[in-house]
Amino acid sequence: MDKNFATRRRRDLFVAAALAVIAALAPLFVKDVYVQNILILTLMYAALSQSWNILSGYCGQISLGHALYFGLGAYTTALLFMKFGVLPWFGMLAGGLLSALIAMGLGYLCFRLRGHYFVIATIVIAEITLLLFHNWDWAGAALGIDIPVRGDSWLKFQFTRSKLPYFYFALVLACVAWFVTWWLEDSKWGFWWRAVKDNPEAAESLGVVVFNSKMGAAAVSAFLVAVGGSFYAQFVSYIDPESVMGFQFSLLMALPAVLGGIGTLWGPVLGAAILIPLTELTRSFIGGSGRGVDLIVYGTLIILISLALPRGLVSLFPSRKGAAR
Amino acid sequence: MTITRRDVLLGATATAALMPLAARAQTSEVVIGVIYPFSGASAQQGVDAQKAYETALEVINKDTDFDLPLAKGEGLPGLGGAKVRLVFADHQADPQKGRAEAERLITQEKVCAVIGTYQSSVAVTVSQICERYQIPFVSADNSSPSLHRRGLKYYFRASPHDEMYSAAMFDFFDALKKKGTKINTLALFHEDTIFGTDSGNAQAKIAAERGYKILADIKYRNNSPSLSAEVQQLKSASADVLMPSSYTTDGILLVKTMAELGYKPNAIVAQDAGFSEKALYDAVGDKLEGVISRGTFSLDLAQKRPMVGKINEMFKARSGKDLNDLTSRQFMGLIVLADAISRAKSTEGEKIRDALAATDIPGDKTIMPWKRIKFDEMGQNNDADPVLLQYVGGKFVTIFPPQAAIAEATWPMK
Amino acid sequence: MNSIFDGGPGVLTAEAIIQSLASGLLMGLLYGLIAVGLALIFGLMDVVNFAHGEFLMISMYATFFLFAFFAIDPLLSAPLVAAAMFVFGAVVYLLIVRFAMRAKANAGMVQIFSTFGLAIVMRGLAQFFFTPDYRSIPQSALGGKTVSIAGIFLPEPQLVGALLSIAAFGALYLFINRTDFGRALEATREDPGAVALVGIDKNRVFALGWGLGAALVGLSGAIMAIFFYIYPDVGASFALIAYVTVALGGFGSVFGAFAGGIIVGLVEATTALILPPSLKSVGIYAVYLLVVFIRPRGLFGSM
Repeated sequence: MDKNFATRRRRDLFVAAALAVIAALAPLFVKDVYVQNILILTLMYAALSQSWNILSGYCGQISLGHALYFGLGAYTTALLFMKFGVLPWFGMLAGGLLSALIAMGLGYLCFRLRGHYFVIATIVIAEITLLLFHNWDWAGAALGIDIPVRGDSWLKFQFTRSKLPYFYFALVLACVAWFVTWWLEDSKWGFWWRAVKDNPEAAESLGVVVFNSKMGAAAVSAFLVAVGGSFYAQFVSYIDPESVMGFQFSLLMALPAVLGGIGTLWGPVLGAAILIPLTELTRSFIGGSGRGVDLIVYGTLIILISLALPRGLVSLFPSRKGAAR
Repeated sequence: MTITRRDVLLGATATAALMPLAARAQTSEVVIGVIYPFSGASAQQGVDAQKAYETALEVINKDTDFDLPLAKGEGLPGLGGAKVRLVFADHQADPQKGRAEAERLITQEKVCAVIGTYQSSVAVTVSQICERYQIPFVSADNSSPSLHRRGLKYYFRASPHDEMYSAAMFDFFDALKKKGTKINTLALFHEDTIFGTDSGNAQAKIAAERGYKILADIKYRNNSPSLSAEVQQLKSASADVLMPSSYTTDGILLVKTMAELGYKPNAIVAQDAGFSEKALYDAVGDKLEGVISRGTFSLDLAQKRPMVGKINEMFKARSGKDLNDLTSRQFMGLIVLADAISRAKSTEGEKIRDALAATDIPGDKTIMPWKRIKFDEMGQNNDADPVLLQYVGGKFVTIFPPQAAIAEATWPMK
Repeated sequence: MNSIFDGGPGVLTAEAIIQSLASGLLMGLLYGLIAVGLALIFGLMDVVNFAHGEFLMISMYATFFLFAFFAIDPLLSAPLVAAAMFVFGAVVYLLIVRFAMRAKANAGMVQIFSTFGLAIVMRGLAQFFFTPDYRSIPQSALGGKTVSIAGIFLPEPQLVGALLSIAAFGALYLFINRTDFGRALEATREDPGAVALVGIDKNRVFALGWGLGAALVGLSGAIMAIFFYIYPDVGASFALIAYVTVALGGFGSVFGAFAGGIIVGLVEATTALILPPSLKSVGIYAVYLLVVFIRPRGLFGSM
């Protein structure tokens, strides 16, 4: 690529490293667990949205069913731990690999579908899985899985009061998701995806390789989201089908990227950094009224941002305009 | 939690968070956290609960002459008349959000106890957080039997759980059978979230133990757009008793669909929830003459205990509704909790816990038809006798157990 | 216990099967009516309205309040509600969707998420103004009435809904194919640039299209209000079914939504006979996947 591109990539890496260091130091100044909780959720959603963005933003395969992988990650970890005593670290890996495999299988079937047919297919596949888990007694059905927390342990990845281990895990996950995206941008895959976006005819000639690269993207995206799901199960220490596999979750995962800038390197981070604190704070401080004001504020904001900034919040930073190119 | 020099320099917020919980005692105000769904599909229950808690607050903080703990005199006598203040938080029926809100209330709002939550799934995470911070959690209206069996020290539930409720229903069937009424077959109809699943499991288990035959065990998706197929199966099964465990929305649709498909069961014995909600009877009350619902509360208790009627009036002035099975439990839950705080003479979690564990309130000092309130080692009150209520002429009358009943059951229903 | 495999006595008689299919058919026609507005709007301008369920919700509220305050029966208020929704739909187009369509980038996502934002705002407003209480219309001309033919029960509200659905699809077919405005709609869909040259105002046509789509939702909302409960989140139960209905029938085909609705209704009823009823939506979703894997454009789709 040209020289500007190389410069920008180096600068992106530098900025990311600086941000990661600043974030890593944040707990020195933020002692309030409520604020720490918001930071953890922000990092988690940044990671999830970044992973979603790989498939839906860069590849243009818009999935509104990623809650499937999130839920599979959470359930695999929790079930392996509760039923077979497998440590969550292995469960995390198992959940990630399982999700990656399933994502490739589904990609194989669904990538032929276009536009809304694909979107709806992703929604209904996630819904089917949700319903099956809802009726699967061995996996706790609607009662969910309550992971008992008996003291602090890195081995079992559970901590009674301290939020710092969760914070640093979420930070690492967000950094990994960002770095994978950064690396993909300049890879062969990234090149094909851009080519296909700029010129649909190119898709024909590149047919097979592009299809394979999309399968790869689906696998990477699902793996990372599933690791996020495993993390969530450990963090909340209780999961049920609705709270880890609900349709709402798929939307929440997509929103930061969409508002921040879909198909861009920084969009998901920026979107999560604004959206998550905002939703948490509106719920906490005006949600208790029972009058739905928090919904009105939240919804209005989504309308305004998506209409005023179709390229997302990243377009407010001129140097990164259209970063996906 | 030690305080180092650097931490002191980090500013007010940080130090406040690090303050030992004990240092908060001896205030003129006692703060209690209330966690409910205030938006989303079950927002109505949250809004009603808010009114119930505000009614209880009035009884506690103002001088009233009811024969209830804390009614006489203002505030909490054990803490020099300190007033109780409630902080409401919205969990949107999401366990993760419930957890975050509980943690916020404990660390930021400095609540000394938490009460909630309507959804049992949220009670799981909220009670976990309370356990970690050693803050008592009063489960006012959750009925899932698994909740108190998790070995938590800070979990308390004054009201019955689904197994106790279901057992009461079968006691009732047994009593009717003894008198010669034919009850052999049942049809279970329950929704697929934690409430319906628990209830359905409990009913199936007891039915098997006591020799009742289940002709249909229908688990349906909650908030389903149509219940025609489900009702058709109930109709085909045509059991002696239909036993629904449904929230308000599905309850309304169930009754309407039954009428439309010409299914008129011999008797309906419902697991509360939707079947104790005014909205359901406003919508389809005319089709429910003679329906029986389990409950823990009945307004006809006012005949024996006039204060029940007066408290109901107080609640009605706020909400425009009569106290029902949920709101009465919420009201009572806060009274029990505030009474324990007053007896603990402290806002320290551990002391309140011990006071709660030592609770022993006789039944006639409550608004409920219970024997008394006394928690076992798991925090469950086993003396909270459920009652069965029958909907007759536009209101509920207690028909079971005999010591609480004011009328004979009409069987079969009209 | 709840399936044909181990059902109790009489669970799966011929009568029960016929009744299930009849109920499924009526419900399916109603699903079609709910979905047709979505299909129309999509067919016209490739926009999927993610607030479709909330359009249905406010139609139901409108019907309820006309009943509660003015004692107007839902049958009579249906045209009023449809008219009000027509205005509402056109206003939504002019205030939001018009701008979403102008988006210079990511047009698809902007449309999805601006209408999704609208859905959230509408739920919030409904909760704010109407409270989250569950409402329903206890007495009406059709409410609770049912026709019984040879032991098969056909509830009147659904029956009227089904007839209305057939009539609406028929009228829509004539409207699109036989009127000037219908032709303008078609032409605008095919080439918005060219129609501007012949003096058709694209925005006006689209606004009318949104109005028409919303009016059809209004009609179904009025019927639904007779036998369904009403609360701020009620639309969510129907939104996904409506999207699947349209996609199953095929985007761009109004007739497809009709066929899609019937199939969804029948599949739902059949699945509940075979699987536990809590899994009955799985049947609908599986049929959708099966259809699009074989025909990626849905049954009758043109795009």
